[in-house]
Amino acid sequence: MMRVLVLGADGFVGLRVARALAASDWAVPVVGCRRANAACRLERIVLDATDRADLRQAVIGMDAIVNCVAGDARTIVANADALFHAAADRRIVHMSSMAVYGSAIGMVAEDAPLLPDTNAYAVARVEAEHLAEAAHNVVMLRPGCIYGAGSAQWSRRIADLLTLRRIGDLGANGDGGSNVVHIDDVVAAILSALRTPEVRGPVNLAMPDAPDWNGYFLAFARALGEVPVRRVPGWQLTLDTKGLAIPLKLAEKLTGRLPPPIPPSLARLWRQDIRLDPTRASVALGVQWTPLAVGLAEAAAWLRPRSDA
Amino acid sequence: MTDLPDTPAIAGSVCVVGAGPVGIALALRLAELGRDVVLLEAGGTTHDASKQDAYRGTVTDPALHYPLDEYRERRLGGTSTIWGGRCMPLDPIDFAPRDWIPDSGWPIGPDALAAYYPDANRLCEAGAFAYTLDAAFPDVRKPMIAGFAGQHFTSDTLERFSCPTDFGKRYRDRLAQSPRIRVLLGAAVTHIALNADGTAVTGLSVRTDAGATVPIVAQAYVLATGGLETARLLLASRDVQPSGIGNAHDVVGRYYMCHLAGTIGAFHATGAVWHGYDMAADGSYCRRRLALTAETQTAQRIGNFVARLHHPRIADPAHGASVLSALYLGRMLVPAHYRKRLADEGAGGIATTARHAWNIARDPLAVAGFAKQMLVDRRLAERKFPSVVVAPKNNVYSLDFHAEQEPQPDSRVTLGEDRDAFGMPRLTVDWRYTRGDVTTVQTALALLSDDLARSGCGRFDFDPDMVETEMTRYGAYGGHHIGTARMGDDPRRSVVDKDCRVHGIANLHLAGAAVFPTSSQANPTLTAVALALRLADRLQVGAA
Ligand SMILES: Cc1cc2nc3c(=O)[nH]c(=O)nc-3n(C[C@H](O)[C@H](O)[C@H](O)COP(=O)(O)OP(=O)(O)OC[C@H]3O[C@@H](n4cnc5c(N)ncnc54)[C@H](O)[C@@H]3O)c2cc1C
Repeated sequence: MMRVLVLGADGFVGLRVARALAASDWAVPVVGCRRANAACRLERIVLDATDRADLRQAVIGMDAIVNCVAGDARTIVANADALFHAAADRRIVHMSSMAVYGSAIGMVAEDAPLLPDTNAYAVARVEAEHLAEAAHNVVMLRPGCIYGAGSAQWSRRIADLLTLRRIGDLGANGDGGSNVVHIDDVVAAILSALRTPEVRGPVNLAMPDAPDWNGYFLAFARALGEVPVRRVPGWQLTLDTKGLAIPLKLAEKLTGRLPPPIPPSLARLWRQDIRLDPTRASVALGVQWTPLAVGLAEAAAWLRPRSDA
Repeated sequence: MTDLPDTPAIAGSVCVVGAGPVGIALALRLAELGRDVVLLEAGGTTHDASKQDAYRGTVTDPALHYPLDEYRERRLGGTSTIWGGRCMPLDPIDFAPRDWIPDSGWPIGPDALAAYYPDANRLCEAGAFAYTLDAAFPDVRKPMIAGFAGQHFTSDTLERFSCPTDFGKRYRDRLAQSPRIRVLLGAAVTHIALNADGTAVTGLSVRTDAGATVPIVAQAYVLATGGLETARLLLASRDVQPSGIGNAHDVVGRYYMCHLAGTIGAFHATGAVWHGYDMAADGSYCRRRLALTAETQTAQRIGNFVARLHHPRIADPAHGASVLSALYLGRMLVPAHYRKRLADEGAGGIATTARHAWNIARDPLAVAGFAKQMLVDRRLAERKFPSVVVAPKNNVYSLDFHAEQEPQPDSRVTLGEDRDAFGMPRLTVDWRYTRGDVTTVQTALALLSDDLARSGCGRFDFDPDMVETEMTRYGAYGGHHIGTARMGDDPRRSVVDKDCRVHGIANLHLAGAAVFPTSSQANPTLTAVALALRLADRLQVGAA
């Protein structure tokens, strides 16, 4: 049995990976968590994933490491530094991000230049990938937007915005490539990467022919029953990103929650016509992509009980 | 997106002339297919009277056709900057040769466009390519006219509406972002140069805003300058081929078609009627209409035809609708073209005014609701509520029809004596319709009346003798410029082949409604865009 240390196992992806490994007949996950009281029944090591000494200790006896640590820029860099120096030649599956391509547009394959020109997060993601050179056996997955049950960003938040009709058909503001990838496919890619040691370096993760954002919003709205979608005028989205358009209080009253903000960086992403080329993931990792309709139905089912309440 | 630089020649792989919906769709698709594109646009980003002046021309009978600098726009986005956005595909019968309509028949069938319509629909922002009730609204079963079961007409097809999308505004960023597309504004093509034996284009002359003439060289050229300007450019380039490019057999500029449209009659409905808009899941507005079947067109030997239910004459207070009365009394507030029609309905005396006021007094809430809709769903919305739809209290409707115009060589555009600021001859338009066109509308209306009566839906009264008057009241239907460079297999009777390539010229293609051999009942833009997407593939094949 392969002993696999899962870092960031209290997060969305890490948790799902740990569960999938536990269900497998070839691996035993050991979750690295910050707090001892994390509610999980798996074998557990309490550690600080940004601490070199902690990680040197934690990797002893491990065959492989899955790194799903997320956080602010400092955390990402410190975690990469600690991990890659501790790893020696152990197999590492490192979750990077499409953010490393920055403001690139068009079809982007893994050999495209890294362009951390958008924000501190992108800079940190690129730096983390550079730090990986210290280790010898790393595959870096660069997912687009991970959706599906459990996805706070690309399922729950989008559903909230669709329900409030703050997004829908955005016209030119939704022409960007969504590069969505279902959480199950991300987990499958990680498991496959653990078992395919000859694959090294970066691998894009986005479903082939992912829709543009307008297409994603419409398909999701259909799955949620939140149709017809509204054409959101450009001026409204502009106001919204500046936090003025929505009478926030009113919406809060109606839904009992504070509606999610649309930061300018998000609006920019919806416009960015970048398309991740997923060929390497398909060919080298053999990922079988979840069809969009299937993935969205699952996401909608996850959200439904909440909206009934 | 740049203004034209003063470089001596600009080379590209494909040069597309005209950045209306057709040229923009074509350029975007060519770039997706990996071609480098130069997109030349005569206008700028706004309406500019001095540029628009190049569109002025002469109309042989001003009662039958609007001035040539109206109903088209010389600027980025072309005429889509002012269009209505009504979309629908052609019907299969439109492509067929029909022995009762001379010069009918396309060299391609409906299959040739089927693969391109969905993308064209998306580019037009008219939602999904679903044009029947079943396809678009599987769950909606509210009939258009309760109990209607026509022999000659169906009520289960739809028209869908674009925002209406201004292609210039909508796709500006996409054009600018594409590394393969260069858009040059203020670049008016004035001449197409051919090689000595007239078998290939060697370059274009372009007049810049600064007054310089710049040559443009590419491997392939596509004119997407709209139905009138395309003929003008071909005819005006006559140094190698004296009768104009592609015009050895005197076909360019002939067969000019628009549509025949008007409002007529009174339908006294007995049951429930739904003549409003349904909104599709994608947010686009859809509306049902009465469409003449292919079988009846064939049996009756007439052209294609559709009709929509319209509110009754606004001027007559008998409709009882407060909204219509408010529109009548407040007609100075509505858009100019609408006001013109209202004015034509005749002004009433004091008694009429009083009855309109009474209509409003009885139902002021409807007026308030209407005003809110016009403000929120039209003025402020990016996807606009397409038109005024009001249910009359007396359940009496008039009928809006939109009919095919048959092709005939005598309806034509030619070069006149006048010249524009660039020295290009201005156009003269001699638009004509036929007896057959009048018969199409008369017969179709009579059959519709039969269908309505036989289904027990009510009475449709119209005066057959008024058909010709009504269908020409505002002359040729504005903005549809069709047929001036028709597509066909026979070079003696057509200008382009089935790939939209000018017969006998290796690298010159035409895009837009100019190439349609027949006009259908359908508004042309969706099909013109679909045909442009197909052309992008064909150019691709040729280059490989
Ligand atoms: C009021 C109105 C309502 C309409 N409603 C509808 C509707 O509901 N549904 C529908 O289907 N259609 C409608 N139309 C018609 C529709 O607008 C046209 O079919 C469509 O715009 C044609 O597209 P195009 O690209 O072929 O030509 P255009 O839109 O006319 O664009 C041609 C472009 O070429 C440029 N150009 C011209 N000459 C030159 C030159 N020599 N050099 C460089 N550039 C040049 C022009 O500046 C322009 O940008 C309507 C039109 C009007 C006027």
